[in-house]
Amino acid sequence: MLDYATLLTILGMGMVTYFTRVFGFLLLRNKTLNDTQTRMMSIAPGCVFIAIIAPEFLTGTLGDILALCVTFIAALRLGMLGTIVIGITSAYGFNWLLS
Amino acid sequence: MSTIKTPQHPFVEGMITAFPLLLGFVPVAFMLGAEAAQKDFSSVLIMFLTMVNFAGGSEFAAIELWTSPPSVLFIIFVTFMVNSRHIIMGATLAPHIKHLPKRKMLTTLFFMADEVWALAMQDINKQHKLTPSKKGFRFDFYLGVALSLYVTWSTFAGLGAYYGGMLGDLHQYGLHMAFPALFIVILVSMWNGKHNALPWAVSAVVAMLAYQYLPGGWYVILGTLSGMLVAYFQGESDA
Repeated sequence: MLDYATLLTILGMGMVTYFTRVFGFLLLRNKTLNDTQTRMMSIAPGCVFIAIIAPEFLTGTLGDILALCVTFIAALRLGMLGTIVIGITSAYGFNWLLS
Repeated sequence: MSTIKTPQHPFVEGMITAFPLLLGFVPVAFMLGAEAAQKDFSSVLIMFLTMVNFAGGSEFAAIELWTSPPSVLFIIFVTFMVNSRHIIMGATLAPHIKHLPKRKMLTTLFFMADEVWALAMQDINKQHKLTPSKKGFRFDFYLGVALSLYVTWSTFAGLGAYYGGMLGDLHQYGLHMAFPALFIVILVSMWNGKHNALPWAVSAVVAMLAYQYLPGGWYVILGTLSGMLVAYFQGESDA
């Protein structure tokens, strides 16, 4: 079922995605940032993560939200693998209990 | 994960670092494939899509919106909207990779999915703390992370299209929590006191509002930019 429109869509998706990945880099490649700009760029990654996670509190089930809280506490103590395992098992557990 | 003390090749270290994430990637990619199969995608076609694009969120959006034949420009536009957050990610990576040869630079950017970028930024910070004099970015480590996630994503999307809806609803297994958990781990490691607090809080509120009221991936962009704006004004008052 590989028709022309399908191929074009997939290649177009690949192109715009690659564009988004290269564009920010091109913007900043030749810039030397001053103190304020450096502070803004160093706060940016954390803000990206926050912005991705935050809506989970609106759309997630009650079990998901409780699991996020448990995961946060786990992250204060454990490394990446431990935290991810706790995140998954607590989401499973809370959603099972509350369903 | 840092319990292994013997020196490893950075590529292997990258693969080991990425391993916990595969817990999330395997079932989610399988789901993507299963959903694509509902829209008449073959295993080969969904693998082709994931290998060309490698940005999970936009792939779910595209499959969701897929019609036969697909509305080409609409899906490409949605892909752009969902992935526009990469612009900020690329900008944060820029100072760390601009010294690389062009071939490595373009390769790095091609694989810059959320999780790859996240682990790369974490490694850059870690390396920078160990040896402040050296550049923190390690290309081999990055490739180790990127390729293990890339191959896993594409392979399991293909398997998902073949074996169809055996998995059922992901939410019952809790596996959708793998990515938020990763992000929380990294956020905790980034925390450095009150300087983060206000920008992060503003980001969270703006992202939630934008998610509620605006289409596409705007919530990530606006959430991030508002946090950066707060950081801008914080500087004014500190000086």
